[in-house]
Amino acid sequence: MTNEHDSVIEELKKHPSALISAYEAVADEVTEALGPAPALRWAQQGVRIASQGPRAWEAATEYFKASPQVVQTIGFTQFERWAESGIELTAEAPVIAASFFRASPRVLPTLAPRHIAGWAGLGRGLSKGTWKSSSLAARFFDVSDELVQQVNFHELQLFVSLVQTLASRSYDLAAEALVLGQRVLPAVSEREELISLAKVLAETSWREVRGSFEAATRVGNSVDRRLRPRYFALSERLARQGLGNVSAFMVESAQSLGLLPQELQTMVLERAEDLADTSAEAVSAFLRTAPNVLDRISPAQLDTWFGRGLEFLKENPDAGIAYFRLESARAETLLDQLSSSIELEKVHGLLRMYSNALAGTEVELQESTDITHRNIGWVSVEFATTDGKSVFLPPTVDLRDTKSENFAWLKVVTTHQVGHLEFQSFDFDFHAPSAGFNDYREGIAEGLGATPGTTEVASFFDLFPVRAMAADLFSTTESARIDQRIVEQYRGLAPSYERVQNDALASRGPIEMMPAQQALMEMLIRQSLGQSSARIPSTYAEQARQLAGLLRSVRNRDATVEDSAEAALRMYYTLSQVPNAFVPLDDWEDVDLSNAGFDEPTLEEIVERLRAEAEEAQEEASGDEYESPDDVDYRGDFKPEMVQLLAQMRGQAEPGEEDGSESAQGISQAELEQALRESTEIDFADDAEVTTVAANMMKEMGADAPQNPAGSGYNQIPHVDEEGGPLEPLEPRSYAYDEWDFRANDYRPRWCIVQERLAVSGETAFYNETMHSYAGLIEQIRRQFESVRPEMYRKVKRLPEGEDVDLDAGIEALIDLRNKMTPDERIYWRRNKDERDVAVVFLLDMSASTAEAVEESSRESDWNAPGDPVAYTAWLRARRGETARRPYKRIIDVEKESMVLLMNALETIGDRYGVYGFSGFGRENVEFYVIKEVEELFSDRVKRRMDKVAPLHATRMGPAIRHATTKLANVDAKTKFMFVISDGRPQDRGYSREGVEKEYAVQDTRMALMEARNLDITPFCLTVDRNGHDYLRTMTGDLNYEVLPDIMELPRRLPQLYKKITL
Amino acid sequence: MANQATQLYQQHNIEEYFIDKEPFYLEVADEIDIFEAAYAQRVPILLKGPTGSGKTRFVEYMSWRLNQARKRDGRADQMSPLVTVACHEDLTASDLVGRYLLEPEGTRWIDGPLTRAVKHGGICYLDEVVEARKDTTVLIHPLSDHRRLLHIEKIGEVLESHPNFLLVISYNPGYQSALKDLKHSTRQRFIAIEFDFPPRDLEGPIIQHESGVDITTAQQLALLGEKIRNLIGQGLQEGVSTRLLIYAGKLIEHGIAPRRACEVAVVWGLTDDHETQASVMEIVTSIFP
Repeated sequence: MTNEHDSVIEELKKHPSALISAYEAVADEVTEALGPAPALRWAQQGVRIASQGPRAWEAATEYFKASPQVVQTIGFTQFERWAESGIELTAEAPVIAASFFRASPRVLPTLAPRHIAGWAGLGRGLSKGTWKSSSLAARFFDVSDELVQQVNFHELQLFVSLVQTLASRSYDLAAEALVLGQRVLPAVSEREELISLAKVLAETSWREVRGSFEAATRVGNSVDRRLRPRYFALSERLARQGLGNVSAFMVESAQSLGLLPQELQTMVLERAEDLADTSAEAVSAFLRTAPNVLDRISPAQLDTWFGRGLEFLKENPDAGIAYFRLESARAETLLDQLSSSIELEKVHGLLRMYSNALAGTEVELQESTDITHRNIGWVSVEFATTDGKSVFLPPTVDLRDTKSENFAWLKVVTTHQVGHLEFQSFDFDFHAPSAGFNDYREGIAEGLGATPGTTEVASFFDLFPVRAMAADLFSTTESARIDQRIVEQYRGLAPSYERVQNDALASRGPIEMMPAQQALMEMLIRQSLGQSSARIPSTYAEQARQLAGLLRSVRNRDATVEDSAEAALRMYYTLSQVPNAFVPLDDWEDVDLSNAGFDEPTLEEIVERLRAEAEEAQEEASGDEYESPDDVDYRGDFKPEMVQLLAQMRGQAEPGEEDGSESAQGISQAELEQALRESTEIDFADDAEVTTVAANMMKEMGADAPQNPAGSGYNQIPHVDEEGGPLEPLEPRSYAYDEWDFRANDYRPRWCIVQERLAVSGETAFYNETMHSYAGLIEQIRRQFESVRPEMYRKVKRLPEGEDVDLDAGIEALIDLRNKMTPDERIYWRRNKDERDVAVVFLLDMSASTAEAVEESSRESDWNAPGDPVAYTAWLRARRGETARRPYKRIIDVEKESMVLLMNALETIGDRYGVYGFSGFGRENVEFYVIKEVEELFSDRVKRRMDKVAPLHATRMGPAIRHATTKLANVDAKTKFMFVISDGRPQDRGYSREGVEKEYAVQDTRMALMEARNLDITPFCLTVDRNGHDYLRTMTGDLNYEVLPDIMELPRRLPQLYKKITL
Repeated sequence: MANQATQLYQQHNIEEYFIDKEPFYLEVADEIDIFEAAYAQRVPILLKGPTGSGKTRFVEYMSWRLNQARKRDGRADQMSPLVTVACHEDLTASDLVGRYLLEPEGTRWIDGPLTRAVKHGGICYLDEVVEARKDTTVLIHPLSDHRRLLHIEKIGEVLESHPNFLLVISYNPGYQSALKDLKHSTRQRFIAIEFDFPPRDLEGPIIQHESGVDITTAQQLALLGEKIRNLIGQGLQEGVSTRLLIYAGKLIEHGIAPRRACEVAVVWGLTDDHETQASVMEIVTSIFP
């Protein structure tokens, strides 16, 4: 032992004295730490190192110096491996080993022991046997400590391989890169991507490496974290394609991306990726100008603008690059055009409210594509129209030069459509009297022996042999009446309205080119648009006067839709007698029709005429066949017959409204097809199309349609009627509840099984993050809520006024008075407000639809969900997969965040509350998740459960409400509330289906809420479904609900509402 | 002479406040007959309706009308004062009944407004009664049934009402707060007259009379009112009150441009939500040039 030790000393003495003194300085310490035998091994290793070569003793000196600290951090086995690595390095070059040993005390505490050899290996790899490479390797160890602290080993390997690549070009640059890496890498989170990019640069234009490292820190500051990997990948792609100045590109694009919010960054980056294949320069130009462009147009419009640019780019790269640089006139023009256009989406809320106000009923506003897609007879995308319940408007308006003018146009169009509802175009009743005419309709029907049609409007049109002409006359007259009423009543709108009418007038085709009948029809349309003089065939001046006079007669505020019909009827009488033949150009004259009147034909004359015409129609009529005139664009599609048909079908879908009229008996598919075929409001290509449209209408309105191959693919959901009897709760914590069947007007006993489960626990991070990101709002809410915190004392004394004199204070005051002193006048006391004793439960909707990204929540509803369980699950999975990738917030996330804020607030005022989530699939499996029980104290456990609340299946609200009611009923509190927060109507398999049975779910939920109310629980429904009004009103009985138009309002609104309702 | 400055205000004791001038009131349905019949039988009355729909004006009008009838019949000495109490959430029973005040030589009892109305046979009108504290119901109940008694606990007295005394309360069912609902036991002691905003044809003349604008403008304002009220529940919790429309009329009469007048008097007063404001403003610009 001692001998061996002595021989070590001997060996060490052979080297310069610095070595032995380094050994002696630490020997005792190391021996104490390791014990004598291992300490000997340690010393012998030192000897081995020193004996590796000429200057190896320097490495050995560093070995001894480092040892005491290294011994503290790693075990002896690893210690030996460490020394081994050192020996190998010393064999390579002592200077590297010296650096290695020197760096070790700082590096090893953060480096995993298994990587020690690897780390040494990285340094050795850098060494190529030359002096420069050795010093690079030594440099590597010098900077290792900071790198190792921040960067994982894999990244370190990548980085070293980058340095190696650089070293093959220039050692100076490689050394610089080492230093740069030490500074930059810890600051960048996407190291792998950055290094990968730098490697590409090192191969193509290696001086850029430095620039890209510097730029990377800026990227970190301005590009959203989730997008950064994609961003680096894009940069790398561009670098590979040989983009010259990548670092400049990074600096500029990062800066411009930084100007955009996260969701726009995603969008812009996606577009940039689309460009990358075509032109790297275009990418750079596009990224630079994107914020500027998005300032002027909406993200949706960006697609249009971008698409056009991409086309240019493919045709001519230079032109395309100029386009994206905004250095081309075409880019500017398109931008101007887009920025002045109005998108319906943007003004949807505004116009919807406006329409509701004007119409006085709930009017839904939709894009015109929504009705054409339904394939129920409406085909025109650019025209506005209405189906009697909704108004359909073109998705974008860009007819005029400025935004305000485009909006004015849209407002006029909206007002016209809503005007049909406000002034009751669709309430036409064949038998109702008109205001200003002798009523001929019934007389004519009698005279002709006509049978009633499918609808009131159809009955009227059926009277005429040329239905199309009658329909055109009626539609023109009725539109003129509506226009008149609007301009009279809405005088502020009149200037815009007149401008739109003038534009419509200006766009009419030349009247002289039309045959006489059509020319007179055209004349009538122009009159209805406000033209006073007209160009007409001289031969028919009298007829023109008659028509214009009739039109004038409905343009007053007393006229009704029946007046329009009576006028149209007389117009038909006049117009049908005019042969539809061309008139020579010389025979036209201008006449002033502004004061035209009309002669009243007798009933007999009209009946005679119609009968004669019907017979004549068998033979060839004189002149050309009548053709309908061009549409007036702002008036859109006016289809009174279709609207009445739909209304009638809607009526029959709602039970309990059988008013005994012939229509209430229902329309069969055959009858419907017949009505459609007769109607001139739709142009059918063939008979199969009639069948398709009819089937779609039947489905739309909820009547049973026969299976029909022509209509397949559209909304065919077979209704699953749930069979079977009562269920028994077999598993623990499962409960059976009745369900209300509104058709049977009775409960279905024990129909649903509610399975109560504790929500899965996640991390508290979600809770804490929410608290963090809403810090400002939380403070606000806390202040609001603190004002309602109950005070401790019931009696407040020494008040200037109150219920009674406070005896003590009163006596003091009297004493003061007698002493001729000014008494304190605060001598009253008052009882304080009742102590708060509130218990509340929150029910969160965890249905699949809450997985929808917030921005897109309105686009697709659950109604397309398949009914079959297997298909449903597949559908769900596809849908969830789709949403999981999105970096967007989902509805459920906003629900959760709002709940967190409210929970936090509730803790301040001390109300007792429970939080539950519900979902499920089918009546046997209503899932009820406990996030917090009413009596449970708030804790980290609750926070964790909150984390894992996620979208699941369907929404069977009734049983969930009943279960929550049961829970709340067992709580002893003076006031009890139940909040139901949902994103749509209740629905589940066998619980509801669009059109078929949606009423069932609503009624059951209503009943469940009533049950709660009967137990003195005040329910409140909050929904983020914009279409919530229609069912919530039924469901909750008027008052206790709210529809949030924007889900992002929820975090702010929920606490406000809570405060308002419970105070 | 200097101290002979004209007094620009008038001061009345509560029990001596009578309405001299006929308040402008247009009957919407048969509410005047109902009120008169109820008064004749001394049946207490509950007026329900949204704010600014004319409840207070109606009570003033009825008070005036009943007193006119007395004057005509030569019973001018039996005039009934109108005692109005606007209820708020700190209004306690003492505020209504009365309390002790300190004086140099001890305390003195003073009657509250309700006590005075009971003693002098007035119509006591408790406006927005749900706002008051729950302890006021203790007073309201015995006064509003056959007993017609007011218990004054603190001085140990019971007051039998003057024969002319009548209790009228008003309440606005539009509030959502479940804690501020009228209890059934209270509700069922009153006959209820429902108020809503007057129909357009009637509201026009009211606006014209109250604000002084021409009838066309008044009717346009009434149209605006009607359209805005269609939005109740879809962004608005309450429709625009006749009162606000009258204010708009007054501004217009004073020379403010109609669109601007409606903006300040109606749109901004109605809601703080920007989209709703914008929508309502579109209605305004449609109606007013």
